[in-house]
Amino acid sequence: MSRAKVEQHPATGMTLVVMVGLSILFLLFMAFLNVVKTGNILNEANLLYAALVFYAGAGALYLGFGVTATDSYIKFASLATWAGLIANTAAVAHRWYEAGHPPFASVYEMLLSFVWTLAALTLIAEKRYGVKVIGTVTMPVAIVGVVLMQLLRSDVRPLVPALQSTWLHVHVTLAMLAYAACALSFALAMMFLIQDKMKTETFLAATSIFTAGIYTAILGRFEGWGGFNVVAWDLENKQEVFLSRGVRLFVTIPDLGWLMLLVFAAVLAPMVFYLLAAFRKKEVFLSIANRAVFISILLQTLALIFFLLRTRDGQYPSLDAEGLYPTALAASPFILAALVGGIFANLLYLLLLWRREDLERLLPSSENLDRITYKTICIAFPLLTLMIAAGAFWANRAWGSYWNWDPKETWAAITWLVYAGYLHMRITRGWRGRRAAYFAILGFTVVMFTFFGVTYLLPGLHAYA
Amino acid sequence: MALSLGSALRKSWQTLSSIKTGVVLIILVVIFSAAGTVILQRPMTEPDDMARAYSPAMLRFLDATGLTDVFHARWFVALMIVVSLSIIAASVQRFPNAWRYFSRPYKSPDQNFRRALPLQASIPISDEEQGLGAAERILRKHGLKSERIVRTNSFSLFSERNRISEMAVYMVHASLLLIFLGGIIDALVGWRGFLMLTPGKAGNQIEMKTGVSRTLPFSILCNAAGEETYSDGTPKKYWSKLAIVENGQEVSSKEIVVNDPLVYKGIRFYQASYGRTGKLDELVLNVTPAKGGSSQQISLRMNQELALDADTTVQLVEFIPDFVVQDGHVYARSNDVTNPAVHMVVTSKKTNATTNYWLPEISGVAENASSPYIFEPKDLKTGVFTGLEVSHEPGQWAVWAGVVLMAVGLTFVFYVIHMRLWVVPVQNANGSLSLWIGGSANRNRDAFEEKFKALVEDLRKELKPVSVLAGVQATSIAGR
Repeated sequence: MSRAKVEQHPATGMTLVVMVGLSILFLLFMAFLNVVKTGNILNEANLLYAALVFYAGAGALYLGFGVTATDSYIKFASLATWAGLIANTAAVAHRWYEAGHPPFASVYEMLLSFVWTLAALTLIAEKRYGVKVIGTVTMPVAIVGVVLMQLLRSDVRPLVPALQSTWLHVHVTLAMLAYAACALSFALAMMFLIQDKMKTETFLAATSIFTAGIYTAILGRFEGWGGFNVVAWDLENKQEVFLSRGVRLFVTIPDLGWLMLLVFAAVLAPMVFYLLAAFRKKEVFLSIANRAVFISILLQTLALIFFLLRTRDGQYPSLDAEGLYPTALAASPFILAALVGGIFANLLYLLLLWRREDLERLLPSSENLDRITYKTICIAFPLLTLMIAAGAFWANRAWGSYWNWDPKETWAAITWLVYAGYLHMRITRGWRGRRAAYFAILGFTVVMFTFFGVTYLLPGLHAYA
Repeated sequence: MALSLGSALRKSWQTLSSIKTGVVLIILVVIFSAAGTVILQRPMTEPDDMARAYSPAMLRFLDATGLTDVFHARWFVALMIVVSLSIIAASVQRFPNAWRYFSRPYKSPDQNFRRALPLQASIPISDEEQGLGAAERILRKHGLKSERIVRTNSFSLFSERNRISEMAVYMVHASLLLIFLGGIIDALVGWRGFLMLTPGKAGNQIEMKTGVSRTLPFSILCNAAGEETYSDGTPKKYWSKLAIVENGQEVSSKEIVVNDPLVYKGIRFYQASYGRTGKLDELVLNVTPAKGGSSQQISLRMNQELALDADTTVQLVEFIPDFVVQDGHVYARSNDVTNPAVHMVVTSKKTNATTNYWLPEISGVAENASSPYIFEPKDLKTGVFTGLEVSHEPGQWAVWAGVVLMAVGLTFVFYVIHMRLWVVPVQNANGSLSLWIGGSANRNRDAFEEKFKALVEDLRKELKPVSVLAGVQATSIAGR
C-alpha cells in the first residue's frame, strides 16, 4: 500500500508532463494545418497563438509544480516559457516592424509588451534569484494577457500628432519597467509574508477584502431591476459606441446584476466568518470560512461564464438611446480582467491553504526575500523617477507645460512619494520584515490605481492609455 | 524671554528636521493631491458641470476651502513650503556629521572600533612588513588602491572606494529643492496663454488663462497652416509656418508641429489646435455661356469682380457656411462649413441688368435661370486658423537641472557603494602577530560581505606558505 503511494507520486508527475507536451504538440499541429492552408506562417496572430500555447503549457506545469512540488516540472515549465518568450519576441518584433514604432501606442500593444516583460522577468527571477514558484503566479497573468489581446482591436493604427515623439517611447518604456519591478516587489513581499509565518487566515481576510473590492467596483455598473451596464460595441468598426465626444453608450444586460450582487455576498462571506472566528475565538468558523472561499470561487466562475455568454452575442436596450445595441467582450476588458483576477486571487489562496508547507520549503528564506524585495524597489524607484521626468519633458514639448496636475501625473507623484516614504523608513529607521512588506504592498496598490483606476475612473489628458 | 524664543525656535527646527515630520508631511501631500484628483477642479471643469456635480452648499464649502483648485490653493502652497523647509532642516541637521565623515575619513581604526566592527577577519603572520605587503598586493589584485597609514609606532593599510556615495542623499534632496525652486519661479513669473492666427495675419495679443490679455514686445506672423491626415481620416500632422517680427524685421522663423515648438526669447509657441474659420478663401467654378459654347474655369475670392466677356462681370458677394432658408431669406445657422451656399451677382454693363446667382439654387431668392452664364461649383476652399499655446516658463531650467541631479544622486544612492577596508598588524596577547582585516560598506552589505570573504581567502592563500614556514620555524625554535 505504502509502496504504491510512493510510486504514484512520480507517476502522476510524468503524466502531467506528457499530457501538457501532447496538448502543446496537438495545438501546434492544428495551427500548422491552418498555416499550410493559408500559406502565411510569420504573421502576428500565429506567433501570438504559439506564445499562448507555450505559456499555457508553462502555466499548467508551474501550477503542477506549485501543487505537487515535483522538481522536474520546473525544467519543462522553464523550457515552455522560453519557447513562449521566443514566439512573443517574434510577435513584438513583427509588430514593431509593421507599425514602424515600438509597440506602446494602444492598449493592445501595451499588453503585448507587458506579457513579454512578465515572461522575461519570470525567467530572470527563477534563474537568477531561485524564486522557482513565481511562474505559478505570473504565467496565468500572461495567459490572461494574451487572451485579452485576442479581443482587442489589433490593427496597426497611425499615431495621432501628440504621440509622435521619441519621448513617448522613453516615457512608456520606463513606465513599463518601473511597474513591472513594482509588481515583482509586490509578489516578493507576499512571499515574504508567507515565509514570515503570517497566519493563513490573515491571507484569507486579505483575499476576501480584495475580491470584495473588485465586486464593489463591478457593482458600480448595477442598474435598477438587476440590470448590468456594459459599453455598447460597434461590431463592424470594432470600437466602442459613442453618444457624443468622450461619452460612451451603455447598454443594460437584464438580470446579470442580480448574479453580481449574489457573488458580492458570496465573496464577503469568508470575511464575515473570519471576523466571527476572530471575535468568538472559535476555530470552527475558520473552516466554514475556507469552505465559503470554495463556494465563492464556484459562484465567481459562474458569474464569469454568464458574463462571457451574455456579452458575446445578443442585443440589449440602452437607457440613453432608443433601440437595441450589441456589445462584445472587447468592450469590457476591465470587467473581464477583474472577474478573472478575483478567481485567480482566490485560487492562489487555496494553493496557500493546501500547500503551505511545500511553499515554505520551496521559497527562499524570509531574510533573502526581504532583501530581494528591497533590491527590486531600489530598481523601481529610479525608474519611476526617470519615467516621471521623461513624461514631464514630453508634456513640455507637446502641451507647453511640464506639470499640469493632471490626475495621472498627480497619482504618479503619489506613487513616487509612497516609495520615497518606504525608502526613508527602511534606510533611516531600519524598517525590515513585515512593516517593509506592508509598505511594498501598499506601493503596488497605488501603482495599480495609477495604471487602471486613474484611466477609467478619473478624467484627464492621458486618454491614450 | 529671548531664551524661551530661542529654545522654541530650536525646538521647531528639531521637529521640522525629524524623519517623523517628513513622513507626516508626505502623507499630507498624498492625501491632498489625491483629493485634488477626485474632486472636480476649476478652471478645467466648466462652472455648469461643477453646479451639476455638487449641491450649492457643498460647492460653497469646497470653494471656500480651496478644494476646487487644490494645487493653487494658498494652503497647498504653504504645505509645499513646509515640505521644502523640512527637507532643508533635515539636510542641514545631518549634513555636518556626514561632511565630517566625508572630509576626514577614518583611516586608522583603534581597538574599540576593531572589536565592534561586524565584518572582520584575522590571519596569523610572522612579519608586519610581509603581511602588509601581501595585503597590498591582494588589494591591488581586487582593483583597490590602498594607502599606508603611519602612526607613531605602527603601520597599517587603508583602502576605500566611492566615498562620494555618502553625499548622494544630499544630492537627491538638493535636486528636489531645485525642482521646487523651478516650480515656484514659474508660479510667480511664468505665464500661459493662447493666440489664434489665420494665415497671413500677425498678432501679439496673448489671451491669458486668467482672462486678461498680454502684449508681447514682438509679433508672430503666421505664413501658412495646415493639416495632414492618414488615409482613414485620423489626423497625422498639424503644422504652422511662423515668423517672429520685431521692429518691422523678421528675426526668426520656423515650421512648428505638435511636439516641436518655436522658442523666442524664452517664450514658446506650441501648435495646440487647428480648424476652419468658416470664411471663404477661394471658390473655383466652371463657367459655360447659357447659349452654349466652350466652358472655362475661373476662381473667385470674396468681393472680387471678374470679367467673363467684354460686357459681363461676376462678383462673389456672400458666403454662408451653413445655410438655412426661412420666410424667403437665407440665414447662417452656424460657422461650420457643413452646408455652404454662395451668392454671386452677374452684371451686364450695357443694360446695367444684375442677376442674383445662388449656388445651390435656392428657390425664391435665386435668379439663376435668367443669367447669361451657367456656373458649376468645382472646389471650395475655406479659411483656416491655427491655435497657438504660448508659455513662458523660466523656472523650467531649474527643474531640468534638478531632474538630472536627481538621476545622478539616485544612481549614487542605490548603486554606488562606499566601501572601506582596513588592514592592521596586531600583536596578540600571547605575543604572536596577526593581520587584522576589517571592512564596511554603506549599503548592499551582503554583496560586500561576499567580496570581503573572497579577499580574505585570497590573502590567506598568499600568506599561507609563509605562515606554514613560520610555524615550522617556530616549532623548531621551541624544540631547540
